[in-house]
Amino acid sequence: MGVLKAEPAKVQDWATRSVGGNWRAYDVQLAIYALLLAGLGLAMSYSSTVVTGVNPLDPSSNFLKGLAWSGIAVVVFIAATFFDYKWLKTFTWPIYFANLGLLALSLVIGTGVGGSARWIAIGPLQFQFSELAKILMIVVLANYLAQRHDRLGSIRVILGACVLMVPTWILVMLQPDLGTSLVLAGILAGMLFMSGASMKWLTIMAGFVIAMIPVAWTYILRDYQKQRLENFLNPASDPQGAGYQLIQSQIAVGSGGMFGKGLTNGTQDTLAFLPVGDTDFAFARLAEELGFIGAVLVFVLFVVLLWRVLMAGYRSQDRFGTIFAAGIGSMLLFQLVVNVGMVIGLMPITGIPLPFITRGGASLISLAIGLGILQSINIRQSKADW
Amino acid sequence: MVAPGIVDERPERERQLVRFLAFGIIALVAICGLTARMVYLQLVNGQTYQQAATTNSTVQQEIPSTRGLIYDRNGLPLVENLPSYTVEVRPSDLPFNQRPAIVAQLASLLKMDPADINAAIDGNPGSTFDLVRIASGVPVATANLIAEEHLDLPGVEVSVDALRYYTQGTILSDVLGYTGPIDAATLKQLRSVGYLPDDLIGRAGVEEQYETQLRGTYGLETIQRDATGRQIQVLSTDKQPVAGDSLTLTIDSKMQKQAQLAADWAMKTAKLKSAVLIVENPQTGEILAMVSTPSYNDNDFAQGITNAQYEALLNNPSKPLINHAIGMQFPEGSTYKLVTGTGALADKKLTPSTLVETHPYIQIGADKFWDWNKRGFGALNILGGFADSSDTFFYQVAEMLGIQRLAYWAHQYGFGTPTGIDLPGEVPGIVPDEQWKQATFGQAILPGELVQAGIGQGFDTSTPLQILNAYSALANGGTLYQPQVVRQITGPDGSIVRPFKPIVIRKIAAPASVFTTMRIAARQVVTSRHTYNLTDEPFVIAGKTGTAEFGIRDAQGRLPFHNWFVGFLPLHGDVSQPTSQLAVIGFNEDANTVGNSATEMVKYFLQIHLGTHPDLRRYDLMKKGNFYGGD
Repeated sequence: MGVLKAEPAKVQDWATRSVGGNWRAYDVQLAIYALLLAGLGLAMSYSSTVVTGVNPLDPSSNFLKGLAWSGIAVVVFIAATFFDYKWLKTFTWPIYFANLGLLALSLVIGTGVGGSARWIAIGPLQFQFSELAKILMIVVLANYLAQRHDRLGSIRVILGACVLMVPTWILVMLQPDLGTSLVLAGILAGMLFMSGASMKWLTIMAGFVIAMIPVAWTYILRDYQKQRLENFLNPASDPQGAGYQLIQSQIAVGSGGMFGKGLTNGTQDTLAFLPVGDTDFAFARLAEELGFIGAVLVFVLFVVLLWRVLMAGYRSQDRFGTIFAAGIGSMLLFQLVVNVGMVIGLMPITGIPLPFITRGGASLISLAIGLGILQSINIRQSKADW
Repeated sequence: MVAPGIVDERPERERQLVRFLAFGIIALVAICGLTARMVYLQLVNGQTYQQAATTNSTVQQEIPSTRGLIYDRNGLPLVENLPSYTVEVRPSDLPFNQRPAIVAQLASLLKMDPADINAAIDGNPGSTFDLVRIASGVPVATANLIAEEHLDLPGVEVSVDALRYYTQGTILSDVLGYTGPIDAATLKQLRSVGYLPDDLIGRAGVEEQYETQLRGTYGLETIQRDATGRQIQVLSTDKQPVAGDSLTLTIDSKMQKQAQLAADWAMKTAKLKSAVLIVENPQTGEILAMVSTPSYNDNDFAQGITNAQYEALLNNPSKPLINHAIGMQFPEGSTYKLVTGTGALADKKLTPSTLVETHPYIQIGADKFWDWNKRGFGALNILGGFADSSDTFFYQVAEMLGIQRLAYWAHQYGFGTPTGIDLPGEVPGIVPDEQWKQATFGQAILPGELVQAGIGQGFDTSTPLQILNAYSALANGGTLYQPQVVRQITGPDGSIVRPFKPIVIRKIAAPASVFTTMRIAARQVVTSRHTYNLTDEPFVIAGKTGTAEFGIRDAQGRLPFHNWFVGFLPLHGDVSQPTSQLAVIGFNEDANTVGNSATEMVKYFLQIHLGTHPDLRRYDLMKKGNFYGGD
């Protein structure tokens, strides 16, 4: 198997390992911060459900769906913690191809808005596999880079990681989902950087990517995506059209003031001035209703969560664990900055969800898997000398 | 590069430590950047954005006022405001690709022609964000159905408003008019005074004439709305609406019905193109009844007329949309001899006893101008000349007066100028004189045109109301009143905003004796049996017939004609006194009957109105025939 090596299987040890972690190393803080963020997300889901006149306890309400997804996410988080992450190294290839298969399936039978193919319905719930793809690619890349820890100065390893990412990236772009493909790129960059890959080559590659922007503009970006970028640069040019979201979203955020208008009291989303106020622009709703205090609370929770994620990686004796944590950290930071940046007018509209806050089961489950694996890494270090 | 097989943990770990720290610093810097922006948006500019959010979501809108009601002179309500379901469309909310399907579905629900709905949407006078009225008076069941299917009908809204219901059906349409959707041009003019794109506005009759008073004053309220403009809740009422004033008409709806009955009978029996019957109080100028038939049903308009119905009305050669009493002008024929006679007496060209020889015709150059009986009547004074309606008598009198004095007396009687009645669409008529002839044809009045003018033929035209108003002035001894259909305007609180006051246009510049002579002459028209058995009626009436030729001669050289009869009932039968309380005119367009059908129509009206017996109608005179007699 070319670039990937299977970890020697240790089937006999599995049972003892899975329950035999060092539970003192379990990071309670990480779990608490994640839960608090998920709770804020649920609160925003509650608010947007109530103001549309839907009973939040109605089985079809977004709030109840969010609650169901949160319940599932907690179970998944616990299960991932119990699961010995070292098995992931063994099953990297199956994981890799399963990921491609699920993305291909989304293209074939998926549904979405505006002709895109993103979601697959599972009973009453919809699942977006491109969210899961981010975690699965972090697993694959972490294993790939960990195995080549001694050759990280080589351009071949860096290019190999990129090549590994390309099929996933293409499948996501085909949906089309520019947001997730950007997150994937961010994850790749973050993981290469934190794994210790050669700065010289990374700089050269970054230069190459920047040079490719005109090519991407011409051949890859769709018209509506270009429109968004143009409107980001000059939102006032079309205040009723594509610049509308940017202007209305800033009005929503700004009108929240210090303390906000109170949960469910926002007018921008309630009165439909703010498009997709319960999804990509959920942070605008949060900032309008909970104010500066609420927004800073979100930032602080993300900072401490990132700190715990990076600590998990840094304490890991295992190179896989270190690089995996780098991937999770990169993903969280990238999505936070790009989503909030979009809402407050610092970034163009790209359709990247804000982890925990943006409604969406796949996002929550994927986060639960990722953070669960981190806990699994935390409790399975023989000694914590870092 | 590290040699293969030799694992040196330290450098790699150190490098990772540096990279992790660098990442942490990048993260902190980025999140500080976001926080700084939040400070700018929420703390520094929070007030501004709060303002913007409020402006976004609140808007002042008008509260419609209750439109004033209309009563007849006896207090009978002629119009009611019925609560009604209205279906409206906001074009901006109508998805372009779904429009045909939505229009088709609406059409089937409302039982309308899709073309009418499309026409309404495309003819929308406001912007695409304004509501367009599609149908008014929608049945409750249909309104509920549409409201329930609102998800399938984006952009369609159902609201409750007041619909005009005219209680008397077609018989008062010409006086009342109707309300209908405002058109783009009117909206442009009236937007500044608070008219809305989906407003209703008076479109004819007193509904149009008294629009300002009837409409009242719209109130203002502040509402919260969503991004599509839909109202969420009323935040405050900023100005209470003030209901419109109510009108009390001069019309007596009982008399109106009697007049309508008589006109319908004449229309049917004599197969007329159209008929007019107006009743006026000569002492005040109040119009007691005004029938112009055929007409339209104002309720059709109030409920939203279909294009097909409207086309049919527009293309009807009888022009039912025009109030013939004021909106069309016809040659007066012999009724105009009042002007010629009054002028000659007042200008002292004649005394009441002056005799004028009447010949079969008078010769002007090569042209012969015949009397209607082709024989002449011998020597006649003004009483005989008027009673026999001798054309050659009045040709010669017109020559004595000359065109300028004839026109002067016509203007004195109100011809050539709208009467100023409080109804829209009045036309002025034509009184030819030298200036008019020069301005219109660039030449002088010819001698033949002068004598024609003396008998209300040639260039002369007027509306039926102008002739009636002139005879009203005769009946009251020479005061020309401005006719009125609205007697009183009453405020919503019951206070009288405008009481009735007769409006005098002028005292006609002739001595009272002249009017007395002409009234006696008018009575002789009846007693001489020029009007057949009208004199046998148990009421005293004075008046004048007219047979007004128009159009193109037939194979025998005969012209089609309209029939006129205008008269008044002298109080206590004393025609010498200017005290008549009732003047009436009948006009039959393109009648071409054996006798004067207009006289029969007025006779029938008076029989019904006064409740007299026996029935003296002469059906034989209503038959078709191009008879030049009876004039």
